[in-house]
Formats: sequence, structure tokens, C-alpha cells
Amino acid sequence: MSSATTAVLYAPGTNCHEETASAIELAGGKAEVVLLHDLLDGTRRLKDFQAAVIPGGFSYGDHLGAGRVFATLLVARLGERLQEFLTAGKPLLGICNGFQVLSEAGVLPCRSLGRPAMALLENESARFEDRKVRLIVTPLESLWTRGLSGQILEMPSAHGEGRVFSQGADCPGGFRAALRYADAAGNPALSFPENPNGSKDAIAGITDETGLVLGLMPHPERASFPANDSQDGLKIFKNLVDWLEE
Amino acid sequence: MAVPVGRMGLMAGVAGEVSGGLVSSNHSGIDCPDFMPIHAIYTQSQDDAEARNWLAFLRRRGHPALYDLKIERVFWLEGEVRVEKLLPLFINPVHQSAHSKSMFDPASGPILEIAYRPAVTDPETPSILAGARALGERGLAFARLSRRFQFVGIGQAEAQQIAERFLFNKVVERLRDPNEAVHSLIPSGTPDPVATISLKELSKGELLQLSRRLSWYAPLSQLKVIQAHEVERGRPYTDAEVEILVQTWSDHCYHTTWKSLGLLKKLSLATERINHPLVVSSFKDNAGGMKFYEDWVITIKGETHNFPSSIAPFGGVATKHGGVIRDTLGFGKGAYPIGGTTIMGTMDPSTEDSALPSGTLHPELIVSESIRATAYYVNPMGIPMMHALYRRHPGYAKCLALGHSIGLIPAKFAMKDAVRKGDLCVLAGGETGRDGIHGATASSAGMSGETVAKESAAVQIGHPVTERRFATAIPVLRDTGCIRSITDLGAGGISCGAGEMGAETGVVLDLDRVPLKDQTLTAWEILLSESQERMLLAVPPEKLAEVKAILDRYEVGHAVIGEFTDSNRLQASWRGQKVVDLEMTFLWEACPLDPIPVREPLRRAASLEINPPQTPDEWTRAIHGVIGHYHCCDQSPAGARFDTTVQARTAVSAYGGRTHQMPTNLYVSAPLRGRNYGMISTVAFNPLYGAIDPVGMARLMVIEAVTKAVAAGADYREMVLCDNFYTPRARPEVAWNLSRMVEAIADLSVELGIPFISGKDSSSGTYEADGQSIDVPYTLVISAMGRIPDVRRIVTKEFKAAENQVFLVGSVDAEALGGTVYADSCGMAGGPLFFPGESPSIRRRWDALLTMRAGGAYVSASAIAEGGTFLRLFEASFGSGLGVEIDFSAVAKSGEGQSSGKDGTRFDGILFGELTGSVLIEVPRGVPVGSYLHAVPHVQIGEVTANAALTIKNGNQRLWHGPVSDLVEVWSKPFKEMMG
Repeated sequence: MSSATTAVLYAPGTNCHEETASAIELAGGKAEVVLLHDLLDGTRRLKDFQAAVIPGGFSYGDHLGAGRVFATLLVARLGERLQEFLTAGKPLLGICNGFQVLSEAGVLPCRSLGRPAMALLENESARFEDRKVRLIVTPLESLWTRGLSGQILEMPSAHGEGRVFSQGADCPGGFRAALRYADAAGNPALSFPENPNGSKDAIAGITDETGLVLGLMPHPERASFPANDSQDGLKIFKNLVDWLEE
Repeated sequence: MAVPVGRMGLMAGVAGEVSGGLVSSNHSGIDCPDFMPIHAIYTQSQDDAEARNWLAFLRRRGHPALYDLKIERVFWLEGEVRVEKLLPLFINPVHQSAHSKSMFDPASGPILEIAYRPAVTDPETPSILAGARALGERGLAFARLSRRFQFVGIGQAEAQQIAERFLFNKVVERLRDPNEAVHSLIPSGTPDPVATISLKELSKGELLQLSRRLSWYAPLSQLKVIQAHEVERGRPYTDAEVEILVQTWSDHCYHTTWKSLGLLKKLSLATERINHPLVVSSFKDNAGGMKFYEDWVITIKGETHNFPSSIAPFGGVATKHGGVIRDTLGFGKGAYPIGGTTIMGTMDPSTEDSALPSGTLHPELIVSESIRATAYYVNPMGIPMMHALYRRHPGYAKCLALGHSIGLIPAKFAMKDAVRKGDLCVLAGGETGRDGIHGATASSAGMSGETVAKESAAVQIGHPVTERRFATAIPVLRDTGCIRSITDLGAGGISCGAGEMGAETGVVLDLDRVPLKDQTLTAWEILLSESQERMLLAVPPEKLAEVKAILDRYEVGHAVIGEFTDSNRLQASWRGQKVVDLEMTFLWEACPLDPIPVREPLRRAASLEINPPQTPDEWTRAIHGVIGHYHCCDQSPAGARFDTTVQARTAVSAYGGRTHQMPTNLYVSAPLRGRNYGMISTVAFNPLYGAIDPVGMARLMVIEAVTKAVAAGADYREMVLCDNFYTPRARPEVAWNLSRMVEAIADLSVELGIPFISGKDSSSGTYEADGQSIDVPYTLVISAMGRIPDVRRIVTKEFKAAENQVFLVGSVDAEALGGTVYADSCGMAGGPLFFPGESPSIRRRWDALLTMRAGGAYVSASAIAEGGTFLRLFEASFGSGLGVEIDFSAVAKSGEGQSSGKDGTRFDGILFGELTGSVLIEVPRGVPVGSYLHAVPHVQIGEVTANAALTIKNGNQRLWHGPVSDLVEVWSKPFKEMMG
């Protein structure tokens, strides 16, 4: 097992931290739940971790917008440290609310902290949708989806605001879809319920130009454990662990 | 560039200076130089799904003229701030814009602004303040967030009506007057002084009048005891003291009806008699506990919130979940919630407005608001939804709103310690507000048009993120030994929580230390407020510093509000006054129990006369009537709004099969990481049975819940039960029925060896309007919880392979159609209910099934319940993409179906009869079924087909045939239509 530790960030309202950390451990990695509170008051430091995940939940009650308050705190108070973390080439994953945080913070799609270039809008149905979805992995290079190109991954999706909205990304590589909602044959799913939120081009997850940052709405950690009806999500965490070991 | 700020003396609504593309207005009061400047920022989204959703919702609900609806949010900011620095907090420029004045054109339609009341803190305020600090704007003193709605196509009056009905809660919110001058945003106000109440001189009539006027709703016997005690103790009461007494003694808190009838004892004695080795805690704590595996305990609790959900469904249902989840957090030294349910019983959502009892909300509104509320509360809590059930009956003028919560806790923390003198009383969680005052007493009162209007303040407001914070922190406090005892604050608020926790010792409270979100609360209101999201902890004094540090790290509000004593008194002070000084023994032991007369009701021997279908068209009508019935139809449009997989423990969720839409009637999870041990949960709820035969229904619910789990492969010997009763107000006949129901399930639990470990009763299921009184049907919801060695061994309902044989295991009575969905869909009510057999035969059947399952001899299974065998055959086909061919000739030959009708056997009775306790299994060819099932009734009824169709035959005669897809359309229609 690698000694590299992945930080799973917790803010009030986060509710998927425990299973996300457990899934990383099940994949053979080391994970620690780190309170945003402790990062802000300096008792913990981002640079002590080799990777980070912002898990799902309703951080700060989704007050002012999903992921908005978390993103504001991250950019305004920890912006420099997060920039250092990214510049050092460390992987960062945002799942569901974590993806919303990365999008609100401007980390995705362009690593432009404090300058958001996309949004995750309310689902087309204007409702929270709990579904099992199929994702087709695109050929784009990302450490998180390495070796999975063309595969269909099944995992749960559960969110109210996951509709990708962007007027194009002004950065090298542009807007990079890493995962798309798919039908049983692996074709991008443009309609409900296979596409649970009405996302343009069936986009479920995107990566940045380096492939180190990934944001996705569905929950790989809920398709990781032997009791779950799929373990496809574990592949994403295994990719992280393999990368950290290399 | 900074926005110049200054005391411009502008009134609200007038724009100020332009800066950096943003106009900042400034509204400080010119006459009040002490006030800080106030800014208003209006934001809009160019793609507002919420507005679209409200528009569709309102057009469906009686406002077809509404043509468009727009929403604008207004950030009200007080202090020396550079507004443009705060923009990252208010908008994502990709789709939102900010303005210094409203973008609404008043000519387009009426505009209403909904804001929190001046004395109340907005839930978003702390988030805005924290965000502003992070952005370096330390001058922001206070902030509020209001919402402006513009309605296009309707007039001011209709807009106002919509707002009052759907968009805000008048207890804490208000419509802001657009011309109102804003001097300060900071909550302020003056509380009423403490009042003295003397009952000494009052006559009976005066006592009752006072009780009604002050919303105590106390019976005369209690008022007289309180009156006599005043003389004894030699001084009048404070308002706080009487309020505490009447609410502690309310039926809701004290269960006076059940205590008077001796019913609480009956169930707990049965459980003692069973002496089950897995029972850890029953009927003592906030929930019941059962041994799981490896030194863990799983807990269960069910709680109803009927009155508030009937009068304000969104708030009532949200806080129903909040409350029952806190019961889990308050079990032992704090359990962690790992599953929940939402179960609603209402009048028929398709009822015409004119047919509703006056003063009741429309049932469709109650159901849809309840769905919205469940999603609003439970999803942010991160607790998987196990079961979402919606049932109807015309008696639910006062609806049933039930929620369960399942918890997980290390065995060593499953018992609370006794509090000791000197322990500190720590209040953790949200601030205390005006919401929920008189919830306990109002819930215990009869509901009528009058109480609906008067007691809407009894409905609490829920903020899940606050509860979520302490749900994370409590296990940390528990594991570090910080908790001596813990309880949630629900009905009766601080007075009830502290009074109960200090019942054996005494407690003294300093109400000035209670953090308030409403500055106008007076002492008794602070004590009785049922504001949600608060827990009370007894903390050893040496642990206080650690408790504070942990709560700070998890950003949970907290305050030491008192100390446990050895005075045997409940004492409280406020603003230098002693406001409460009551003896614990009086509070907890002096409540008189009015004897409740019991009288056996006259039996109405209504029997059913249903003509069996003869032609294929008649069969089609009957089939569509059953699968399109509210109880049997596809409820997944509601269920899909709730997270079923959060925590990543879920093995089998309520929906499964090929398209994840087939009801499984099960929830199975693997609570321990790295282990495949399973927790299985099932529920049974049937108001149609309760209306016909309460005692028969009670037995059937127990058998239905357990059989659902047994069919899946769970051992009934490792199962426990939770009961939730909801019955009409106690009259002699009601008391008789209620007593017999409790006796029946107590006896049954002993015979089956399955103990009840938790339960709750509500005896106020009567609605009064226009001199008419409407009783709820006798309601008993049974929830079964069990443990299984390996979740991967669970078998679900969908068919697995063509040519497999389908068997019906258990007895058949084709004549007992009482209470069935089939009868209801024919518009008929009457008896008798199906009799599932005596306990030994039921156990024999369960044993045979478990042996068979252990041998892997069946590959799919489902317990028969509402909709009968037919619904299960349809679901199993739908879930698999396969079909089934049924042949009645074997059933007729087996002698199981009783003779009737032209053909000698009532085939409709076999198909639609609700053969509770019977199980449908799918068996591969070649399995020696007889060797497993020789001791129990069983019959092969058909065969799985590759063709996705249902065929019903009697020997060579084909009675009915249809593709599954046709049925799916009928089945999925009702909820799809209701939810738009």
C-alpha cells in the first residue's frame, strides 16, 4: 500500500465523506477525512496530501447555490494553497456536490480559480432524481479513467442540480467531457431517464487539460462495495491508487 | 473599485451609485444615524428551472391563468461593505446576474417579496456572513435573503393567495411591503413579560374555557389536579409552569389514552415473555435496539406527525423526518441513522374539491407537498430512503404522516448512563425560535376547521443542514466519552427534554443562555418551543472543554443552558426571575388518567357481492382496476425523488429489476464496512383492511411484513417489529377495538417469537367539521427489521428464466376478498378479510421456505399483499422482461380455491385475493419441490415465458392474454399524472 494519503474534504452538509474514504481504502489506498474547518484555521494543510476528493452532499445546505459557499471559502481563503496543490500535479476529484464546488470555484473546466466558466444547473425536471445510470468513458486522457475508454460503467446518480451549462471553455483543451450518460448500447443518452438531468451532450463528468482533475455527478463510491449491485465505481478509485503508487 | 458607502438617506427601492458595472443602492434611515448602510442586490438566473417548476405546479393546482412566473433573489446587506467583492457569493456569472434594482417590470404583473420576519434570523444568514468574511469583507454586520416572485397573467389577489398557500410560512416569514423603510436588518423585538396564572378561583367552565383559549386542550381532570396543587404549594403558577404541566400531560407526550387502557404494558410484557436473545433495548429509549453482528446494534423507531402534516404538509412532513432521525441520534449515547421511510395516508388525491370536508387541504396537495418535503429534508441528511408508501382512505381527513428511522451504534454505547448531580445540560444544534409552540397539545386535540386556522404556528420549520452537522458530530462525541446521556428535543421542547433527562435528579436551567433566532420569545416560549434540529446532552463537567472543541470543529451551535442537580425539581430562571419551580414527582407522577369506558362495537356484517369477470373485456377491466389502483400503481415517480443509495451501504433498494422501477417491497443494506452482513427492512400498511376489521388487519400487518422478508430469505427468528398505531379519538367502541388490536399483536408476537421493540401511538385520528366527525380507519403500520448473514443471498421478485415453474406457497381462499384492492376498485367495501392461518401453520410455511431458500431451490420470490397474486406476477414480469402463463386447472384440482361462480372456482379470487402470508416462488425445473414443501399447502400455478406477456388459462381455455407493456401504461399512470 502506498503511503500517499488522499484528503476527503468535509464541510458542514457534506454527507458522502465516509463512504468515499472507505472506497479509496477498499481500492488499496489511504484516505483521511479532512475538515474544511481545520484547513481554514491552519491545523491541517492541503500540501500534506497527495490527492484530494470533494465528496457529495449539500455543503452549507446548498445556501446561495449548490457548492457556492464551499467554493467561495476554498477560493478566497485557500486559493493559493489549492493553486499550489494543482501546480504540483496532484489529482483532484469532485463527486456530485464536489463537482458543483469545483465548477463554482472555476477549477473545472479551466483551472481558473475564482473565474467560473461553467455551471451545474437544476435538472431539467426541476427535481431531485435518484437513478442508476450508465456512463460511457470517452477516449480523453485522465488519470481517473485511465484504461477505461469505451467501457460502460454503472453507478447510482442522485442529485437535483447536475445539468452541465457552459458557453465554451476559454482554455487549452477546451471543455473536455470524460464521461457521458449512455444507453445500454453505449450511445450517449440525450433523454430522460438515461440522462437524468438533461445535460447537454449527455455530459456526466468533465476533466481539465491535464487530466488530473475530474468532476462527475454520479457516485462511483456507491458502486464500489461487494454489497452494492455494481462495483464499476471502484475502477476510478483504483486508478487513483495506481497513479499514486507509480 | 469600492462602492462609496455613506448615509445617503435613501429609502428602499431607490438606486444609488454605479460601480464596476454594479449599481449599489443604499437605504439607511436618515433619521437614525446609528444605523449602518443597507444595500440590496437583486439576482436572477437566465435559466431558472425552479421558476419553471413552480409555474407548472401552480398551473396544475388551480391557477391555469398564470402565464409566467419569474423569481428574483434579493440579498439585503447591512454594514460597511464593498458590494462588488461579495458577488462571487451571490452569483455564478455563467448564468446569473446581479443588479442594484429589480429587473422586474411592474407592468408585467404583480410582484411579491417574501422575507423572514424582522425578529427572525434567516437560515442563510450565517452562510452569507461566513462567505463575506472569507472574501475579506469584515464590515458586513448582517444579511438577509428574500425572494421576489412576479406573476404574469393573474391579479394581485390571486398572487397573494398563491403566496400564502404555497410560498411562505407565516410563522416565520412575511410578505414585505415594497414601500417599507428599512432601518436595520438585525433581528430585534421585545418579549412579553412573564405572566402569573392562578387557577384557584376558577369554576369548571372557566378552567375549560381558559384551557381552550390558551391552546392547552387539557381535560378537566388534569386542570383540577393542577388547580389543587396550586393551593397545596401556596402560590400561583407562572405561565411557564402551567404550560409545562399541560404539555407534559398531553396525550402526545404522556400517551394518556394508551396508559389508561393499559396498552403500553401489554406489548412490553409480550416482549419480556419472548425474552429474545437479540433484543438489546425495547420500549425504554428513543428507539428500540437489536443486536447486529460483531458488537454492533441496529435500532428502529417510527414516528407520526399527523396533525402538522394535515394543516401544513411541507413543514409537517419535513419535520416528521427531522424528528424521527433525531430519535435515532438520541438512542443510547447516539446512534447513526442508516435508513428511513416515508409513509403517507391521505384521502383520495383525485377527490373533487367540492367533496372535501370543509377546512381540509386537498389530498393531492398533501401528497405532492409531502414528496417535496421528504426530498427537501432526507436527501441532505444523507440517509437512504428505504420505503416510500402512499395509501388512501376517505377517513384520512386528518392524514397519516409516518416516518421511520433505522440506526447503527456500537453495542457498548447502546445504554445511556444515569445523569449525575453537576453534569452540564448542553443544548446543541440550531437556535430556538417561535416555530412549533403548542405542537404537543395541539396534536393531542381534535382537529377541526378551527384548530387548523388557530394552530398553524404549531408547525415547525426544518433546516436539514443544521441536523446534518450534529449527525456527524454526535458519533465523535460518543466515541470520545463525552456523552453521559442524550435526547432529542421534539414535542415540548427544552422543558420536556430537560425535564425527562433530569426526572430522577433535578435540573436548573438558565434561559438567558439559550441562543434565540427570534428575539421576542418570552420564557415559556423558550421552554416549549419545538424548534427543530436541537439535541440536549448531559455532559460530565470534566468533558465540557472537549465537547465544545468538537462541536466547534463540526460547526455545530452549542450552549450550556443548565446543570443537573439533586433537588428533584425542574427549575428555570429568565432575566433575573425564577420562572419555573416544579417538583419532578408532581410533573411526572401526578397526571390523572381518566378511565376510558370500553364497549364492544356492534358488528356490521356487510359482505361482498362481486361478479367474477366472464369475458376477456371484463378481465381487462378488473386487471386494469387493480394495477392502476393508487395502492398498487407505480409510485416510483415519488420514490425517485429520494436518495436510495447514499452511504453506499444499499444492497437491495425499494426499486429493482431491469429498469430499476419494479417495487421490491424490500430494503437491504450492509451496515458494516468490509462486511456483507445485512439489515433487512419491510413494512406493511393497509387502511382498507383497518376500516373493515381492525383486529384482523392488525394480525395481517404483522404477517405481511415478516413474510415479505422471509420470502427474500431472511430468518424470522432474527427479526424484530415496530408498531405505529393511528386510531380515532377514544370512545368506548374505539377503546374496545384498540385494546383488541394491541392484544392480538401482542399474542401473535409471542406465538411467532418475534418481539416488538419500539412503537408509538396516536389516538387523535378524528376530524371535526360542520358538526360532522370523520374518523381515520384503524391504522397500524408494522415495520419489520432483521439481520441476515450475507446480503448477496437475498432473492428478489423479478423472474429469472423462461420455463421456470411458478408456485404459490400458502393457503388460498378465493372468497375472502374483503378489504382487497380488487374490491375497492369495484367500489365495494365489506368483509371478510383473508385469514392467513394460525401461528403454527404460518411458522411451518416460513420454515419450509427458509430451508428451500438455503438449498437455493427457488430463484425469485415475493410475498402476496395488496393487488394479490396478479400484481406480483405482473411486477415479476415487468422487472425481468419475461412473461408468465397461469393455468388455474391445477389450483382448482388442488382444492385450494373454493367453489363458486359458473366454473366452480372463483378465478378472480385466486388472482386478486390478498393471500397474506402466501408466497409466490419461481423454481427451476427438476427441483424436488414436494420434498421441501410436503408439510405446507402449495400449488404450481404457471410457468415463466420468454414472451413478455401475461396469459391466464383454465386448462385449454384461455381466459385472458395481454402484453406486459400494455399493463405498464395503466400501472404507471396515476403518479405520473399527479406529479405532472
